[in-house]
Amino acid sequence: MKYTTRLGVVFTVFVSLFSVLVLRLWFVQIAEGAEAVSAAQRQSNLAISSPAPRGDIYDANGVLLASSRFVPAIWVDRHFVKPEQKEQLIQSLSALLNQPADDIAALYEAAGQNGRFQVAVIDTLKAYQVAEQLRDYPGVSVEKIPERVYLMGESMAHVIGHLGKPTAEDIKVNPELDPNTRIGKLGVERVYEDLLAGTPGETTYQLDSGEITQVVRTTSPLPGNQVFLTIDSELQNVVEEGLAAGIENANEIKAGLRARGVTDGARNDVVRGAAVVIDVHTGAVLAMASFPSFDPGLFVGGLDRATFEDLQSRNAFLNLAVGGLYPPASTFKAITYMALLDHDIPFPSDTEGVDAPNRIVHCDGALELQNLTDGSPQVYRDWYGDRDLGWLNYHDALSNSCNLFFYAVALGVWQNWRGQPEENVIQQEARALGFGDRTGIDLTGEATGVVPDRELYESWKELMLEDESAPKLLTEDRLEAASPWYGGDLMNVAIGQGGMLATPLQVASAYAAIANGGTVYRPHVVSRALDSDGSLRYVASPKVVSRAELDRDAVDQLLIDLNRVVTVGTARAAFEGFGSSLSRVGGKTGTGQSVKSKDNHAWFAGIAPIDDPQYAVAVLLDEGGSGGAAAAPIARYIMQYLMGEELDPITAGQLAD
Amino acid sequence: MATIAPTTRSVGDRPRRRSDVVLLSSVLALSGFGLLMIYSATRFINERQGELSTFSMERQLVFVVLGLIAMAVFSFVDYRELRNFAVPLYGAMIVGLVVVLMFEPIQGARSWIQLGAFRLQPAEFSKLIVIVSLAALFATQRRPGTLSWKLVLSSMAVLGLPAVLIVIEPDLGTTLVLPFIWLVMLFAAGASLKQIGWLLAGGVATVASIFRLDLLEEHQRDRIAVFIDPTLDPQGIGYQLLQSKRAIGAGQLVGRGLFQGTQTNLAYIPEQQNDFIFTAIAEQLGFVGGVLVLAAFLVIVWRLLVVSANSRDRFGALVAIGLAALIGFHVFINVGMTMGLAPVTGLPLPFVSQGGSFYLTMGIAVGIANSIWLRRSAVPGDMRAG
Repeated sequence: MKYTTRLGVVFTVFVSLFSVLVLRLWFVQIAEGAEAVSAAQRQSNLAISSPAPRGDIYDANGVLLASSRFVPAIWVDRHFVKPEQKEQLIQSLSALLNQPADDIAALYEAAGQNGRFQVAVIDTLKAYQVAEQLRDYPGVSVEKIPERVYLMGESMAHVIGHLGKPTAEDIKVNPELDPNTRIGKLGVERVYEDLLAGTPGETTYQLDSGEITQVVRTTSPLPGNQVFLTIDSELQNVVEEGLAAGIENANEIKAGLRARGVTDGARNDVVRGAAVVIDVHTGAVLAMASFPSFDPGLFVGGLDRATFEDLQSRNAFLNLAVGGLYPPASTFKAITYMALLDHDIPFPSDTEGVDAPNRIVHCDGALELQNLTDGSPQVYRDWYGDRDLGWLNYHDALSNSCNLFFYAVALGVWQNWRGQPEENVIQQEARALGFGDRTGIDLTGEATGVVPDRELYESWKELMLEDESAPKLLTEDRLEAASPWYGGDLMNVAIGQGGMLATPLQVASAYAAIANGGTVYRPHVVSRALDSDGSLRYVASPKVVSRAELDRDAVDQLLIDLNRVVTVGTARAAFEGFGSSLSRVGGKTGTGQSVKSKDNHAWFAGIAPIDDPQYAVAVLLDEGGSGGAAAAPIARYIMQYLMGEELDPITAGQLAD
Repeated sequence: MATIAPTTRSVGDRPRRRSDVVLLSSVLALSGFGLLMIYSATRFINERQGELSTFSMERQLVFVVLGLIAMAVFSFVDYRELRNFAVPLYGAMIVGLVVVLMFEPIQGARSWIQLGAFRLQPAEFSKLIVIVSLAALFATQRRPGTLSWKLVLSSMAVLGLPAVLIVIEPDLGTTLVLPFIWLVMLFAAGASLKQIGWLLAGGVATVASIFRLDLLEEHQRDRIAVFIDPTLDPQGIGYQLLQSKRAIGAGQLVGRGLFQGTQTNLAYIPEQQNDFIFTAIAEQLGFVGGVLVLAAFLVIVWRLLVVSANSRDRFGALVAIGLAALIGFHVFINVGMTMGLAPVTGLPLPFVSQGGSFYLTMGIAVGIANSIWLRRSAVPGDMRAG
């Protein structure tokens, strides 16, 4: 082989090698070039969002309830932390902030590669301290972030709500969500999150592999909308004062009972209660209180576990007004009353103590009946013991809360319409007024309630027969009976007991619907929202949920009889000294029985004024005892305010149903 | 295409003392272009470190000037003197490669000898000395066109000793480039295809047994594994490769414009001004710029082969082809590595990459080649042995 040939071979090898390079270059730059360009753009930009201050919350009269302020906070951006600096950084922050290193490490990990996270809100002094040492902490910055401020303490807490960190679930639903932000967890803060949250700003930086080189663009955060509640904070204060004093009063009554050696009805202290006032023409909630309460401000700086668990164990986060389920008891008699008149329910014949043609019942404390299933004799007793109230018509039966009368109404239904569609007239009346379903209020934690009937019991029976592990909703004997629905069940429904369950809001809403002639409005706590320019972003117009066909004349009769409750009936003592407008208010007491180990629940539901209904009021004291003695005084206090009367301190009313 | 054959025109009617203008102008063009690229890749980093933006470029300019002086000196020195000094040079090289092992490792390798403000890399100079030594050895072959097994084996020893020392540093790039130069020079010196076949077979067997016998350290095996699958090490070499390919790809056909490359400006590619300078070229000047640079290198390889063909003696011819192999292989591995075609080994791009020792080595190499050219044979093809 000639030398020049060998040189030619070597040159050919190099030409081939270089051709491979050119082909590869073509592939990388031309075939895959566009992809690389977009990857390069993504890489060289870093977008950092700046949180938007949440919108302020005001009451109906423009009183500020919740606002935002800017506080310094420590942030770490992992873009600027080299892996070998991580440990040192976490240790330094732990020492500086006096926080466990593990907690900071967990935040660090959760933020993910190149993530950004807020370590803690710090005070101004510390902020200066950190700012001086920033050089020593790679990736650490001190930034002003908006923080929620609640001005009302424990007042209205369940309505206003509180904030918290987004959960994994929240982020799944809304992937845009910054894990460092705080979102509404309860009440208006949660339901109106979209209106309140605002839009975070964003600053896009151009980055090199270690440092920011320039700002590409900045958009300012847009504050959230100002939200106005329907709540009148002055009325709210009255309601809360009344509720607090009412709980004290109920406990004094119990102490008195115990002093006299009576344990029945005085087993437990009263700690829970709720009161609600709604506008009967719109469903606007004018006041809503639930005890025990909590200070939403506790959540702002991060709530320690012990405090949280203490509040949790006392059910402080439960809004009893919308989430507390109780037998509505005698407050429900107003509904049975309406059913009686609206449907002209026939009275039972051949029953001792019932005068069917005259539609009157002998309220002597006991009703003797043949068992409605097997014919054995049964005695139904009334709350007033052995006293004889005489033969009462529906007017007096309501004002004296005579159970026997309303039992007779149920018996009439049972005797005449058993097994027919009309069997459910009372329940239908209840459902038409909103019982047994959520009111749809714009708050969290609303309970549904139960209106029992044959169909429900049969479905429970079916469930229990099909599934051994199903909850024991019915007793054994009912499973064996032809139908699990007894006449006694209907009798219980008529007095708001048995399987009946309702929330204070449902009771108020039903009374409001009766007062306005039958329209059930969706209750709401937010009236409108304005953006930062002051233009309207949201308006709550009254929403009709359903309309009950009520006899106008029956409504007028009921309103008069509700007034008789407070003038001569079970709430007479509680409303003593009410003022000149006593003739214009009305309501119904209730004493709900639940399980044996618990004392009775005290109720009062009222309407004011009865000649031109504006307000519906519901008061509930969990284990408060007698409705007339414990709940009615609270309602009286609230209604005195509503009617412009001078407020009298709360003292015990009469011990009546 | 240009032919690689002895030049006939220059016989008699032309003065022989004329440098290889094509070679030198290609080298000068690449060197100047290299300074520009180094500037584009380092201006922001320098500023951030409180230096002038031109700091790195100016530093390299010093080496370029030194390299050009060396180029001129070695052009005027008769390359045949090198043959006389082959043995002492080889000895000095071995000493240098041993001494370097006594210094503290920098970036995990004992490759540098600290001399005041400067650091020397003996391995760079060893490339030239090995070429000179092999050429001197092969030139002793009396019968052109063949190569005795004795010489083949001797050359293996000449190559082996420095290669082992360089493996110990370790400098994987140089370890790869030496056997390649050796193979090309063996072929040029007249080794038969059969001999080369045996050597290749032996090489494959050796590499296989290295793996079989677990002679490699874990980190060395890891490095090979990462070469095969860069995603194994997304923060280290894998990261470098990913960023390198992204920068090159972003250049597309005509590039993003000088000083307009975000990946270059934002210093995403580690060691960009050194081994990854090609990414700066490809991002800013695109496929067109990349191909032009490769073409310039192919011109240099071609000229070196022409020099080899015109050498007045076998020694010069073999030195020239060794230099062609050195530069050509450097370019292939360096550019290939930025695109994931070759392992990330630390072989710089000749004349363009930042680096003092290597530029000086390249300057000397071109000077030697020019010296061979200036003293080419009066009669074309008259290649006297001896």
